[in-house]
Amino acid sequence: MSVIEYDVIIIGAGVAGLTAGAWLSGQGLKVALVTAGEPTACLSTGCIDVCAKSDDPLQGIAHLPNDHPFHLVSSGTIRQALDDFQQIMAAMDMPYTGGLENNRRVLSAIGTFKTTCLTPVTMQASPQNGNERIHIITFAGLKDFYPGYIISRFKNASFSTYDAGVSTTMGIAANFEDDAFLEAFILWLEKQHNREDKIAVPAVLGLESAAAIIKQIEYRLERPVFEIPTIPPSMPGRRLFNGLKDHFRRKGGMIYWGWPVVGVEKTGRQIEAVMAQSQGRPNSLNARAFILATGSFVGGGLEAKRDTIVEKVFHLPVFVPGEREAWFDQDYFSMNHGIGRAGIAVDSSFRPTDCLWDNIFVCGAILAHTEALKNGCGHGFAIATGQAAAKSCLEHIQ
Amino acid sequence: MSYEHCIRCTICVENCPVFRVNPAFPGPKQAGPDAQRFRSDREKSADEWVLLCSQCKRCEMACPCGVEPAQIILRAQQKYGLEHPHTAAHLLFANNYYLSTLGSLTAPLANRFAATKIGKKIFQRMGIATYIPFPKFSFKTLRGTMKSRSRETRKVAFFYGCFINFYRPDIGRKIIRMLQSFKIDVVLPPQWCCGLPALGNGNLALARSFAGKNVASLSNYVDAGYDIVYTCTSCGLCLLHDYQGIMEIPGAKKIAENSYDLHEYVLKLIAETEIKPPFKEVNRTLAYHIPCHLRALEIGYPAANLMQLIPGLTCRILDDNCCGLNGSYGFKKINEVTALQLGGRVVSLIKKTGAEAIVADCGSCRMQLAGLSGMDAFDPVEILCESLGIKDKK
Ligand SMILES: Cc1cc2nc3c(=O)[nH]c(=O)nc-3n(C[C@H](O)[C@H](O)[C@H](O)COP(=O)(O)OP(=O)(O)OC[C@H]3O[C@@H](n4cnc5c(N)ncnc54)[C@H](O)[C@@H]3O)c2cc1C
Ligand code: SF4
Ligand code: SF4
Ligand code: SF4
Repeated sequence: MSVIEYDVIIIGAGVAGLTAGAWLSGQGLKVALVTAGEPTACLSTGCIDVCAKSDDPLQGIAHLPNDHPFHLVSSGTIRQALDDFQQIMAAMDMPYTGGLENNRRVLSAIGTFKTTCLTPVTMQASPQNGNERIHIITFAGLKDFYPGYIISRFKNASFSTYDAGVSTTMGIAANFEDDAFLEAFILWLEKQHNREDKIAVPAVLGLESAAAIIKQIEYRLERPVFEIPTIPPSMPGRRLFNGLKDHFRRKGGMIYWGWPVVGVEKTGRQIEAVMAQSQGRPNSLNARAFILATGSFVGGGLEAKRDTIVEKVFHLPVFVPGEREAWFDQDYFSMNHGIGRAGIAVDSSFRPTDCLWDNIFVCGAILAHTEALKNGCGHGFAIATGQAAAKSCLEHIQ
Repeated sequence: MSYEHCIRCTICVENCPVFRVNPAFPGPKQAGPDAQRFRSDREKSADEWVLLCSQCKRCEMACPCGVEPAQIILRAQQKYGLEHPHTAAHLLFANNYYLSTLGSLTAPLANRFAATKIGKKIFQRMGIATYIPFPKFSFKTLRGTMKSRSRETRKVAFFYGCFINFYRPDIGRKIIRMLQSFKIDVVLPPQWCCGLPALGNGNLALARSFAGKNVASLSNYVDAGYDIVYTCTSCGLCLLHDYQGIMEIPGAKKIAENSYDLHEYVLKLIAETEIKPPFKEVNRTLAYHIPCHLRALEIGYPAANLMQLIPGLTCRILDDNCCGLNGSYGFKKINEVTALQLGGRVVSLIKKTGAEAIVADCGSCRMQLAGLSGMDAFDPVEILCESLGIKDKK
């Protein structure tokens, strides 16, 4: 028995689930999204990795192994999905720079360069090599950000420290939303008389107004300013999550927080409802179709037991890369852990293969053979498969 | 779930409103799972900062691993409360129910006192913040005025909560009229404060005594085929979660299984095609501030689903921020700055939407937001009643 009936229920509030949900809401369907908690996007740099295997992301995708699920998405849909994404984020005042023509580089907090496809506009001016002349600002007491790492890899870099009164990433970012705080910061910066070409700041320039804040600093200092992504808490990751979430809401989507799905109701080849144990009593929600976007191990969609791997919501068959010995590489930091390939195998309509039900679609990091880390296909892959699975789902409903 | 499942991702920290503005509070990760490793039952707790947690539960809603930092901190707060003398403000708010009973019996006097300079001074001396007006006591409480019996099919036992009873009985009467208009039989079972204020002020024993009496009373109604309907989201969370959880009240499971948020209940009746409310046009643009405890109930936002059915109504949902008041939390002097900063942020986001008025299910959120913004703040049921043409007749 359920309180309300939806056309589609999305499980998981990651980039994949939010993309699919917003797209379907945009088609006029009644969509709800249920989620256990916040997604891996909050832990990320906010940059959109499509495929880092080559300078040209589409070329990179073409060279992925044959069983990679990226091959199930047409290049037209990939283009459309990323275009849509850029428009959504621009409308949310968090524009993204870049395009599918070529990958970009972003300076990381340890001084290395990360290859990605789209970057938040706040990282647009990120240097492309170690010869650029940059001045780094850090904040008194801010943990986990040491300009020394970067300076040791740059020929011309220096740094200075600003006392923001608070020392946490969240606290500083919240302060930047205050005009008086921003003004004081800019005045201080002007007095530094830095001569370097660009100013670097760890990614704490505001919660939702970062794009406007950076523009104002650039205007006053008359030179490019860019953010350097930090380890979590990561503001650019949170802005990405917030942007997609608010967009989904504006399209009419409904979100159920604290809703870890623990069971399903089914009749014949149809899933009828998903169930959660919410405060005190079981709760269920009905829909005509379901999209599974619960992510991989970190997201919570997959769980490794002693000698098997399970999908936690529908108990779908999971592709498991051989015996447990094959799951992990000897080298801990290797990108070749077999377990990265574990996940749900799907057909060209994003339905799980060998599945007992007709109205389930799967997208995002939970798909088998994704290997997000190794192939550098994170959010970009989630966006593309999110839209592709949503399209398939719409066809099914019609 | 236990603290051992924490992967230290800091997602909870990013969601903690207090941590954002008060450097004295180490945040849910450190105050919760991290500190828990070192807490021992045999040692007296020395960390006074556990009291700075407002119990908004945002950390729990965000944690991807099912860790419950707020729950861990709540237990630490009770332990601290047991081992240290209570301040005047803590005692006062824990006993809010008795105070309110007194206040409403002497309403005109009590209100005048709370508004005077001397009254405010005394409040401040007791550690009570006075930046927004203390809620006005209502002379006639809901209990005192409503008796309703009309033998229909569905039977509801209405847990109205202290806020409605003492401060806004008019909303209580509207709720009853609305349910009756759906041909539902409504009764007001004997009831006491849910116990949350006592719990929030570190007084587990008092909370338990309230809870025990409520469970005994409500359980009779469940046995007689009544559904329990609550309207205060904090009461709801307490009934459903804390009675079974930290308070360990026998029989609480039965109450949890049969209690519904008012809007959840109306939606359920609509979905089961038992009723078809004739919603008429309401031309308003509203900002719907989601109370933290509605979010924590894990039932979605049923009032938003209902308001979607009202023609002409535009309603923007805002659920990323805590209003800062959290029942009695923001009324305490030590939390005044936190409450003001958080409230100010919510108000600025509301103003950005261009809405003409605010809706929120929780009376204390409405008090805070109306006080800080100068805008009207409604209970969603007031909007539903406007649409259904239901008025408060005394
Ligand atoms: C630390 C880290 C950093 C990363 N950095 C980057 C980066 O900088 N750039 C990039 O492009 N990619 C990055 N990635 C990869 C990227 O985050 C993911 O590949 C991509 O966003 C996948 O998103 P998703 O929506 O499939 O799943 P996830 O983001 O994993 O989201 C899964 C969602 O499902 C919910 N869920 C799980 N189980 C249940 C259940 N039973 N019931 C209800 N809900 C459930 C979770 O709470 C969560 O909200 C990073 C990944 C990690 C782990
Ligand atoms: S309950 Fe609220 S105030 Fe307390 S730690 Fe969690 S998020 Fe912070
Ligand atoms: S969100 Fe959960 S897992 Fe992450 S640090 Fe907080 S308690 Fe630990
Ligand atoms: S939580 Fe509910 S019952 Fe308890 S004091 Fe508040 S309004 Fe009253």
